Amino acid sequence: MKEQLSALIDGEFDTNNADHLLIVAKSDGELRRAWNTYHMIGDVMRGDSVFETQMTSRIMAVLDQEPTVIAPQAVRSVQENAEKSMFKKTAFWSVAASVMAVLFVGLMLLQQQTADQNIMNPVEIAENLPSEYLTAHQTYAPNGAAYYIQNVSFTEQR
Amino acid sequence: MFKWMLACALIFASLNVQAIDDPWLALQKTAFAARELNYQGVFVYQNGNQTRSVQITHMNNAGRELTRNVVLDGQPREVFSEGSDIVIFNAKHNKVVIEKRRGQNLFPAMLPTDLNVLKYSYTAKFGPVERIAGREAQIIDLVPNDNFRYSYRVWSDVEFGLLVKMTLMNHQNQAVEQIGFTQLSMLNTHDLNWFQPKIDLTKQYVMEEENEVHHVTNNWVVANLPPGYRKIDHIEHLVPGKTTMVNQVIFSDGIASVSLFIEPMKKGIRPKMGHKTVGSTNICANVIDGFQVIVVGEVPAQTVQQIAKAVSFNKQTTAIK
Repeated sequence: MKEQLSALIDGEFDTNNADHLLIVAKSDGELRRAWNTYHMIGDVMRGDSVFETQMTSRIMAVLDQEPTVIAPQAVRSVQENAEKSMFKKTAFWSVAASVMAVLFVGLMLLQQQTADQNIMNPVEIAENLPSEYLTAHQTYAPNGAAYYIQNVSFTEQR
Repeated sequence: MFKWMLACALIFASLNVQAIDDPWLALQKTAFAARELNYQGVFVYQNGNQTRSVQITHMNNAGRELTRNVVLDGQPREVFSEGSDIVIFNAKHNKVVIEKRRGQNLFPAMLPTDLNVLKYSYTAKFGPVERIAGREAQIIDLVPNDNFRYSYRVWSDVEFGLLVKMTLMNHQNQAVEQIGFTQLSMLNTHDLNWFQPKIDLTKQYVMEEENEVHHVTNNWVVANLPPGYRKIDHIEHLVPGKTTMVNQVIFSDGIASVSLFIEPMKKGIRPKMGHKTVGSTNICANVIDGFQVIVVGEVPAQTVQQIAKAVSFNKQTTAIK
């Protein structure tokens, strides 16, 4: 308990307020939680990732669950061999011609479909404001006169 | 008689002029004052029909800049900054979401410390002295040299050089965005007790989901960039509500900034087109070669439109990526 507390107050944002400390030392409940949160700001500001250790272990756990593919290379080479021998067969070429014919018709149909997609009515942004882009602009552009204020209203709109 | 009056007026004017007679030097002092002084106050931000009051405390503690901004209207929100690190406590329903940001020029530190880049696109001029938040303030105008940017009017505290107000004005000289103190006092303490959020014990505090941001260089180019603007960053990230990565290229002329968003068009999603103005912000959407292009900036409509039309992908060197 004492060690924990001294670790907490080591932070740069220590208020040097002894009364605060006493209250925290006596309590285990909500005040203690508040104190922890307060110090978390310091950690975040300093760039210490509060959740880093947890994150690493989570990633490791997920990696462990991934199946290991031992010989994908071998599988591929067998397939390649089969394809090569196919070209030598005469029957292959007659089949190939009909496949090409079907493919041609198919492609024409596909092109028509994409053309249809292009005709899809565009949305006028005047009617439907893409506020997510506004927020991203305010977050990453260097001069954020508005960003921390406007963000509020965009969250309210949602 | 007239000549005599004119002479008197001139003498009076020259007495009235401050020690600094170059408006660029006065702006330089203003840019530094916001970062170096210790002050506390309330400012009001207005953009379009939106208004927010914010309480600010700023301290420069041996070169370490600390700021706490408490948004007083609407949802509770606190913005803490230390240098270029920003942490936001954002109340949402029964939670407080802690968000991390980087490197913004927050009010009143809105002028860049390197003003040389501005000299290409703007001319600085002194205006009259006005009273803002109970203080005498010298007006300095940043007048654009062309139509690709708005003009900035800066009110600089006569005594301390602190920026006490700034407005963004369109070509018709109408204020499209305003931010300024309504109350201001200098702090004479090094106590840091104020640098902590107001904790609401009934709420749960959670960290915002980390939004992965990569700095990238790829072949998106804007062939005909408006004069004075240059690319200052290019990132790739997930815009909230999107499932694919979005390219965001940021351009700036030193003070005004524009974001260009590029993403591949998706099946079943209607393309966005057109133009919209929200307060000082202009937004323009376009479709180029199967890509959705959106340009956003606190700049005139013609600037975002020109960028939105001139986007292209330089295919020559795509093999490298």
